Amino acid sequence: MIVATLVAWKELWQTVVASIVAGVGITFAFSLGIWGSGQFVELNRSERPVAATAAGVVAALAFLCVIAAVVVGIVVMTHK
Amino acid sequence: MSADVILVIVVGTALAFDFTNGFHDTANVVATSISTGAARPSVAIGFASLLNFIGAFISISVAATVAKDVVDAEVITPTIVFAGLIGAIAWNLITWYFGLPSSSSHALIGGVVGSAVAAAGLDVILAEGLVGKVLVPAVVAPIVAFLVAGLAIGLSYRAVGRQRPGIVTRGYRYGQVISGGLLALAHGTNDAQKTMGVITLALIAAGKLGAEADPPTWVIVASATAIALGTYSGGWRIIKTTGTRIIKMDAAQGFSAQGAGAAVILASTHFGFPLSTTHVINGGVMGSGAAKRLSAVRWGVAGNIVVAWILTLPAAALIGAATYGFTRIFGTGALGPVLVTLMALSLITAAFARRARQGAPVEAVGA
Repeated sequence: MIVATLVAWKELWQTVVASIVAGVGITFAFSLGIWGSGQFVELNRSERPVAATAAGVVAALAFLCVIAAVVVGIVVMTHK
Repeated sequence: MSADVILVIVVGTALAFDFTNGFHDTANVVATSISTGAARPSVAIGFASLLNFIGAFISISVAATVAKDVVDAEVITPTIVFAGLIGAIAWNLITWYFGLPSSSSHALIGGVVGSAVAAAGLDVILAEGLVGKVLVPAVVAPIVAFLVAGLAIGLSYRAVGRQRPGIVTRGYRYGQVISGGLLALAHGTNDAQKTMGVITLALIAAGKLGAEADPPTWVIVASATAIALGTYSGGWRIIKTTGTRIIKMDAAQGFSAQGAGAAVILASTHFGFPLSTTHVINGGVMGSGAAKRLSAVRWGVAGNIVVAWILTLPAAALIGAATYGFTRIFGTGALGPVLVTLMALSLITAAFARRARQGAPVEAVGA
């Protein structure tokens, strides 16, 4: 009961939710980038240029999301 | 004269703590990159040292009033700070000796709490700060990182499952360079500030700076240099524990642990609920292993690490209290701190020499 009044529950909750969204999101985006890169190479070898381009676009967008997340991380460090 | 000697000793001890902080926490940043082959050890450690140095300049919001929410600031004297630093350094070296990753911040808080209690009694403890800003985050950090890394590695394996192993491994290794870099930068911004704050407080207490003064440039440069040199020295025993003894990780697991760790640390910084880098990274490593297979985690090693986390506050507090008590035997002058410093240097030299002769620590029972 005493602990309930001593803990900043709002900040704790926000930290947990943001950690899950950012941590899982960034890792998944990077994995999607790897998947897209792999598909791009494979589909080009199979001479399927349209599908290869689509996979390349997915990879590029995914890696852009990761780069944006890194920039946000650096901004967070400088504004704490 | 005596006050100046104590001030010089406090500054030197704070920089020594900063060095052990970097030395002890190198593993948080580089262990997963080294163990998965994402970077050669010398490159990973050099890169981490550089980013720790840069990180120390990114923000100088003096987080180093690290104990101000935990003990009554009115009672703090340079000798209490000195004894607290000795408690923190001693605990950092004890856990390094056994190859156990533990929180340097908690060691510092524990040391200062112990020396302050020895000086002025239990009333100096601010229960709200101790529970809300130290104990609860210590429980939350590894659990959140465990969950995030576990979820992340599950999704990652699904996303890349049918790709050729070569491109997947190379991809995650590149990712580890980015996530490791972010972690090193975040570590520099968080941890070097503690030393800056301790030195600044000592300078203010000694009347060398105004009450609201920012850390002088020499303090920032010295703190950044000490943590970078400590990181560059590399606490290899802890790197081995975090990188290879908890789980045998592949590049995807390494990236998930580091990526989840960076996300958790930066989210906690943003929302003002600071978490220990050590707790987060090691929780992430355990989570990325357990999500693949529960038996992939060496629970004996993980258990030893958790025991070290539980012991950090009380052990550093006991050493801090004992150090303060010892210095007071010699009065309020500089003799006590000088003697403690000489004894500490002798013990540290002996510990390094003994550890160098012994080689690798014994594997945990049941590991």
